[in-house]
Amino acid sequence: MSSGDRIRGAFAGLAIGDAAGWPSARHRSALLAPWSRRLERELDAFAEEHALTTLPVPFALNQPVGPLAIGPSDDAEWLAWTALTVHEDREAAFLRLAGRSDLRTRISVRTALANLAAGKRPPASGHDNPHHFDDAAAVRAVAFGAAGVDPRADASVTNALDGVLAAAAMAAAVAELVSGAPMSSAVAAALAELPDETAIGHATRTALTVARAAGDPFAAVPALDAALLDHVYSYGVAAAQTVAVALALAEVSEGALALAVPAAACLPSLADSAPALTGALTGAATGYDALPPGWRAATRTLAGCGLPDLAGADIIDIAGGLA
Amino acid sequence: MIETRARGCLLGLAAGDALGRPAENLTREEIRRRWGRLTEIEPGKGGTDDTEYTIFAASLLCRYGSALTSADVAREYRQRVVPHAAGPMRGAGFSERGAVQALLRGAEPPMSGLWHQHGWSDGLAMRAAPYGIFAAGDPAEAARLVAADGVVSNSGEGVYGGQAVAAAVAVAMTGAPPAEVVEAGLAAVPEDSWTSRDLRAAVAAAASGSVEDLYAAVVVPHYPWTDLAPEAVALAFAGYLLGAGEVEESVVSAANLGRDADTTAAIAGALAGAGRGEAAVPARWARLIGPADGRCLPDVAGRHVLDVATELAAAARAFSGRTARSGEGREPGSALGPG
Repeated sequence: MSSGDRIRGAFAGLAIGDAAGWPSARHRSALLAPWSRRLERELDAFAEEHALTTLPVPFALNQPVGPLAIGPSDDAEWLAWTALTVHEDREAAFLRLAGRSDLRTRISVRTALANLAAGKRPPASGHDNPHHFDDAAAVRAVAFGAAGVDPRADASVTNALDGVLAAAAMAAAVAELVSGAPMSSAVAAALAELPDETAIGHATRTALTVARAAGDPFAAVPALDAALLDHVYSYGVAAAQTVAVALALAEVSEGALALAVPAAACLPSLADSAPALTGALTGAATGYDALPPGWRAATRTLAGCGLPDLAGADIIDIAGGLA
Repeated sequence: MIETRARGCLLGLAAGDALGRPAENLTREEIRRRWGRLTEIEPGKGGTDDTEYTIFAASLLCRYGSALTSADVAREYRQRVVPHAAGPMRGAGFSERGAVQALLRGAEPPMSGLWHQHGWSDGLAMRAAPYGIFAAGDPAEAARLVAADGVVSNSGEGVYGGQAVAAAVAVAMTGAPPAEVVEAGLAAVPEDSWTSRDLRAAVAAAASGSVEDLYAAVVVPHYPWTDLAPEAVALAFAGYLLGAGEVEESVVSAANLGRDADTTAAIAGALAGAGRGEAAVPARWARLIGPADGRCLPDVAGRHVLDVATELAAAARAFSGRTARSGEGREPGSALGPG
């Protein structure tokens, strides 16, 4: 297996994981008319008012249904954008996005773009940021790990503290895997970037302990929920949780995407990005050719639901640019 | 003099909490639509977590004084806050609820303040005033002590927000003019921090009198919650400066800025009340401040901020005497504790 195959595996794995979680259809429904998303919100309120357990799902009345088929969403698009700009100055690359009104982004990235537009430069753009701890940079770090480039300058544009450590850990793990090292070495490389006294360091070691004790990825799901998630906050993209889960499931699955990604998707509050990060690690471990062909085919074409310029782009071709 | 300033500080805080309460999370436009200018406390509603956690913090100082450690605070949380957290924990912010969950898992500070991600919450800033009262005239000591409490529930910018408030109150307790008070708050936090950048922007915007500039500089636009300490502390200090340190005008200015209006008005009231003393708090507000009802923190039910302020001033005197005699302040002061 070549490093190029492993790089394509990391990208395809991330796209598969991105498509596997329930939030993917929510993101992809951005391609539908605004009125249909408004109707979905009203149906949610209707279910509440009428005490219904029949929950509404994204739907496409009088519109193309393609966006609601299984496919990649925001994380795959941000990974592709990062790969295409990986050798550029990171502040300059993000400045081109600042001021655009047609993007859909995480809170950390939206705030960073507003900071940049207001003249606040990195690292303050990522630090003076309510979601400095999220995993936006960890997703982008898959490209830096594949390219063998330090992810911290990129991460510091949108994140700080745990959010930057998470990017360093993901890049270190992916770099190990694309060089042919086993998952245990990749996890060790990630842990070396995550000090014990940080939340992400503590959470990742906790996640590894409970996943190992459970023995396999699906068995680990309730243990990870109990050990990591306090269910107090209104969002589930904290890197200390999603990266911890991804590393734990990747290790206990011994790199098997088909075991690890579905397990990650079973943690509802983390289902936006934990499956994507898990897919990147396991896909890099086995390489592209070993991934399920049906999933590869369904997830390689980007939708443009977050970054419209990338609609129709092929993430495997883009990964090939780094191979 | 310390006692009347202490009483003014906590009465101003409670009045700001009660005044700002119905405006919490509202926009300035919505506040204008409902009240024109919000100047009157809703009778019979009382305060919120700002007042009740402030009473809790004061009780820690009465018991442990300047020897207070994070381990003491975590133990007090486990005895007095965590047992009430099985049911609804009304009025708690993300940092307090998150800290309770972390403590229940067995985490100790500082991990208890890191584990839940919301280190930046204004949950410490809202309860920081007692540290400034206790260390009146010594902003560095106030900032040191409040951090011992802060790392149980907060980290990073949330701790800085508490340090800025505690240090500023410590200087306000000397009767210093508002500009010096705010300068002491700024001096207590690292220059390269979100809190410092927002505080400097607030000082500039208050000087020009532009609420639009203030909002543009410190309000985080693409985030649905308003409890970010850098923003809340900046809005509170701006309200205090816009009110020129007068209690009513400072509190009203802060409350009408919206966002986390109960917390920002409470902090502005603490700063102004410490500077001007109990008599400067409008009597029509003071009449509406009764004992805490414990809706957020059952442990403090029945405690009145004025009694707490008097005890805290006495504790400050007692501990400073003890420290002068023995060179250390350790040993629970049970007679002064909350019982």
